[in-house]
Amino acid sequence: MSAAAEVLVEPTGFADFRRRFVGTPSAVLGFAIVAFAVGVALLSPWIAPADFSRTNMAFIWEPPGNDFALGTDALGRDVLSRLMVGAAVSLTVALSVLAIALVVGTAAGMTAAWRGGWFDAFVMRTADITFAFPDLIVAILVAAMLGPGIPTVILSLALVSWPGIARLTRSLVLSLRNELFVDAAIVCGTKPATILLRHCLPNIVPALIVRASVGVGFVVMAEATLSFLGLGVQEPLPSWGGMIRDGLPALRSDPHLTLAAGTALGVTIIGFNLLGDGLRDLLDPRIRER
Amino acid sequence: MTAYVLRRLLGLLPVLVAAVVLTFVANRFVPGDPITIMLGDQGGNAVLERKLRSEYGLDRPVTVQFVDYVAKLAHGDFGLSFRYPGVPVTQVIRNALWISPSIAAAALALAIPIGIALGVVAALRRNTLADTGIVLVLVAGLSIPNFALAAFLVWGFALKLGWVPVAGWTSWRHAILPVVLLAIPAAAYLARLARTFMLEVLQQDYVRTARAKGLSERLVVWRHALRNVLVPILTVCGVIFGGLITGTVVIETVFNIPGLGRIAIESIFARDYPVTMAIVMLFTFFYATINFAVDVLYGLVDPRIRLEARR
Repeated sequence: MSAAAEVLVEPTGFADFRRRFVGTPSAVLGFAIVAFAVGVALLSPWIAPADFSRTNMAFIWEPPGNDFALGTDALGRDVLSRLMVGAAVSLTVALSVLAIALVVGTAAGMTAAWRGGWFDAFVMRTADITFAFPDLIVAILVAAMLGPGIPTVILSLALVSWPGIARLTRSLVLSLRNELFVDAAIVCGTKPATILLRHCLPNIVPALIVRASVGVGFVVMAEATLSFLGLGVQEPLPSWGGMIRDGLPALRSDPHLTLAAGTALGVTIIGFNLLGDGLRDLLDPRIRER
Repeated sequence: MTAYVLRRLLGLLPVLVAAVVLTFVANRFVPGDPITIMLGDQGGNAVLERKLRSEYGLDRPVTVQFVDYVAKLAHGDFGLSFRYPGVPVTQVIRNALWISPSIAAAALALAIPIGIALGVVAALRRNTLADTGIVLVLVAGLSIPNFALAAFLVWGFALKLGWVPVAGWTSWRHAILPVVLLAIPAAAYLARLARTFMLEVLQQDYVRTARAKGLSERLVVWRHALRNVLVPILTVCGVIFGGLITGTVVIETVFNIPGLGRIAIESIFARDYPVTMAIVMLFTFFYATINFAVDVLYGLVDPRIRLEARR
């Protein structure tokens, strides 16, 4: 492309997005951290230096060194390997929560907006009531009924996450209903389900992506909190929250376990939040106009 | 104003009803029969079993149990504990009742001035190194879970430097780290909002007018801008309090503080459902009350909100 044409043609779509994304250092840093965490999680079965669950009583509480890069825990398990597998566990739980919350929230929000009436009122009041409970209280209720474990984490976090997505979807679909292409589809005799899924959904996906990306950091933190309290991921599976708890009693003599897991957890959530904030600032049209 | 307050009060009703029904259902439909667990070795003792069942009201129809549950709740009676047979729940949690709200209130009192100050300073120095630095610190403060940060602070300030006690709950010095740790994410959240609101307010016409008539920058910020930032900040204090409640559960576990949060977690593992559910009710009640108070205050300072609610 010649220099003159470059001046005249405003970059659009993905090229424009990429240019502005690269111009936001915090978003790039967030992306790098997230990419690293996801890479480690995906490759953990192959790159972990040892079996994450193999105990070795001859090497308990080994300090970080040549044999064990980040030392060992109370059962002589390799901390680095457990951190790597912990990343996979944490991200899998977060993805499951978001997938459930997105599907349920979008379906409820779209149906509420389209049907209106009592169904709309029912969905929105349910969302209001869910909002009125502090997140951890919902998790405690679920944990009391199901017992601690991964299903408890996923169910309780999905329970507190879907109402926000349902509210967002509802308001977006309500404004889309007045668009000409929706009227056209109705006149053509298209079924409501088809209108919602084929005509409306593609228009709200960007907003949902932003919403979800801002939420990942929260979900990762909530999972770690529940695992720290003992309500979440159970042994022998490693979780960063659980590792921090296991290391606390030995903080005086062997702080490496808690501090390593705490660093991994803190940096990962910072990464997700930087990336989420960056995506929101770049993709949210209301903020762009300012 | 009275109509507005009544309307808000009415809005609390479905939440409390949901809390009552959910805790009742959770209490009755949890895995395992509590009486069988309580009896333990004396499983064959039919007389004792019948006595316990009637003492806990578990020998009556579920509907009667529910009415009884609601009636007792209205009198502040949460029933009997499973872990300590025959002991009322109120006695188990009595000493812990004010610990969590006090820690949360102290943290909020610490977080509000610090958060607003940081946010306003960042907004006034927009796009300078100070602003960027503050924004990065705020992201970190919001992102790092308080139990992870707690580990670092305990290791540094309690174990290495010995400035504060490691854990426990016997002197005011034991409260320092817990309150500071709880205040950090709250202050970071407040500061982010204060920064955004301040940037918005500084572009308003009345701020330009105030500057144009020659007011000093200090008067413009303190008298004209800050006041309008404080009102929207007030509304998020309810949300923040919800976060602080979650925080106390975690922090009490880290620092071995005998508050409601730690008892709630212990009761889950001890299968002491009545105690768990009583604490769920109390936390929901605290949260609803705070949100109600915030709504009323908001209506008092901003007449537009009262009118909006009437429609």
